[in-house]
Amino acid sequence: MNLLQIVVEAFRSMLANRLRTLLTMLGIIIGITSVVLLLAVGDSMKRFIAKELEQLGTNMLFISPGGDRAQQQRMRTGAQPAMTIADAAALNELPSLAGAAPVLQGGFNLAVGNENASKTVHGVTPAMFKIRGWKIDKGSAFSDADVRGAARMVVIGRKIADQFFYKQDPLGKYIRIENVSFQVVGVLYGEGKQVDGGDLSEYVIVPFTAAGSNLIKTAFPGNVHYVVAQGKSGGNLQDAILDISETLRDRHHIKIDQPDDFRIDNLASFAETAQKISAGLAALLGLIGAISLIVGGIGIMNIMLVSVTERTREIGIRMAIGAKPRDVLLQFLTEAVVICLVGGIFGILLATLAASGITATGKFDVFITLQAVVVACGFSSLVGVFFGFYPARRASKLLPVDCLRYE
Amino acid sequence: MTAPELLIDIRQVTKSYFSGSVETQVLHGIDLAVPRGDFLAVMGQSGSGKSTLMNIFGCLDQATGGSYFLNGVDTLTLSRNQLATIRNRTIGFVFQSFNLIKRMSVAENVALPLIYAGVSRSKAHAKALLELDRVGLATMAKRTPNQLSGGQQQRVAIARALVGDPPLILADEPTGNLDTQTSEEIMRSFQQLNQERGITILLVTHEPDIAAYSKRLMRLKDGRVLYDGPSAEGLRQMMQSHENLTV
Repeated sequence: MNLLQIVVEAFRSMLANRLRTLLTMLGIIIGITSVVLLLAVGDSMKRFIAKELEQLGTNMLFISPGGDRAQQQRMRTGAQPAMTIADAAALNELPSLAGAAPVLQGGFNLAVGNENASKTVHGVTPAMFKIRGWKIDKGSAFSDADVRGAARMVVIGRKIADQFFYKQDPLGKYIRIENVSFQVVGVLYGEGKQVDGGDLSEYVIVPFTAAGSNLIKTAFPGNVHYVVAQGKSGGNLQDAILDISETLRDRHHIKIDQPDDFRIDNLASFAETAQKISAGLAALLGLIGAISLIVGGIGIMNIMLVSVTERTREIGIRMAIGAKPRDVLLQFLTEAVVICLVGGIFGILLATLAASGITATGKFDVFITLQAVVVACGFSSLVGVFFGFYPARRASKLLPVDCLRYE
Repeated sequence: MTAPELLIDIRQVTKSYFSGSVETQVLHGIDLAVPRGDFLAVMGQSGSGKSTLMNIFGCLDQATGGSYFLNGVDTLTLSRNQLATIRNRTIGFVFQSFNLIKRMSVAENVALPLIYAGVSRSKAHAKALLELDRVGLATMAKRTPNQLSGGQQQRVAIARALVGDPPLILADEPTGNLDTQTSEEIMRSFQQLNQERGITILLVTHEPDIAAYSKRLMRLKDGRVLYDGPSAEGLRQMMQSHENLTV
């Protein structure tokens, strides 16, 4: 008996008992749907997190003054020197770093005409654009000369541009920040959450010196709020951290038994943790799907056992006219596999539908990959073979004489 | 290999059933030699062992002792797979309850032995139609067994038994579920098969009228042979004895 013949037979006996086949298949459909969907969700989550992390920047180190809160407080009031622009310059020279740049940051009132809003303003040097990976959509960034001259220039995010200069070209126009006029020279490209919690499209960036002289008063001249450093690509970030630590301790005259008066936050380790968590979550989701598939498989086994009992006489007839034990085994095994495969296909369709539903909500993009489909098909036929084998074997071991007596 | 003269050659065949340690012997050493072209009816009361003997003839069950050569092959040494092949090639079965598979069409039922023999679907189907035509049911090929009368179903079963051109037909109470007229038609077609195609027929029945179509009669009682000889003589003896009321 050839395989095609067996598959035709399997479909026929499936159709002979439609409701039962459908109910049995339902277990597999739900199982495969959850496996495919949960794998896809896990995958999309991983991609989502990776994309977010990429936006935050890679290889970045945040160096902020003060080891603890009390120390930070003393620095802010001027009781203790904090980190300075000179510290940033020294770090910028370190061979293990691609660069380092200072930041002054604060919340200020922005106004154009009658429109006004409170936003965070960053005072930075042009080097920061490279370190943070900021790209210019329109216009340009300010230059080092602009920083030296404390030019009142501003680069704004897209949303800010839309808010204040709706449908107009913002370049060359003025924004008042705390009643000081700054000229818009550039608009940032892109959007998305940044490491400080702000959105890239709502950034307001001015030259470091302009921020220092017009907006942000520090206890000592030349103090910075924090320094952002970027490790050399391909270099060891841990070496860079050691270099920074050594340089700053040296510059701040910290004795060997004293703690640091600064803190270094490593974004890469944060990224690694996030990736590990997302991979773990994806595996967990897959496992939950697999459990529902196993439950579906047990349903198959149950129904196949019933089917073998019900069709004992048919098995006897088939054996009497020449079916070998192997033929009977293959017949029932194929039936189980066909139910699983057809259920698997429906499951994939359902998962695809659900995925596009989730994607349509706009919060999260979920794609069913070809790999997931192949895995699902393989998995469902495996379930069929695994859970169909015992009933099929039981059928094949029946003796013809007993089967023909069975009523 | 030339075909041996004896199609069935059984010697001292015994059959016992075991339930726990209790042995129940059903057949007590049966000897039977059936040459090709014979038409043998096996008769006996229920419990005489005729069904058990029939199952052994059909390789559906194995004897406990003795020897059984079918078409020159020692069946007691064969595996389940080899027995399946023997049933497929050498024996055609006709049962009392027809035993057709209900969800398959008539033609598919008839073709099934060939499918198990590895014949292609189209060839098997063509041969099935030929056999259906011989039993006069070619027009019913696409129907399912449920749409047919009992007599028609039994003729389908005969077509199925013949489709693989086996030398032997085993018919187990083939007329048990049929009315008298249909029974006569079925028996005449068996007679025809025996005379025109030379097919050996083994028939189990408890009705003397049906046994009368055979050439040779074997009567069993309590697992032993009571009579083995020409049908007419055997039936006459049976009528004379007191058994005629019960057998």
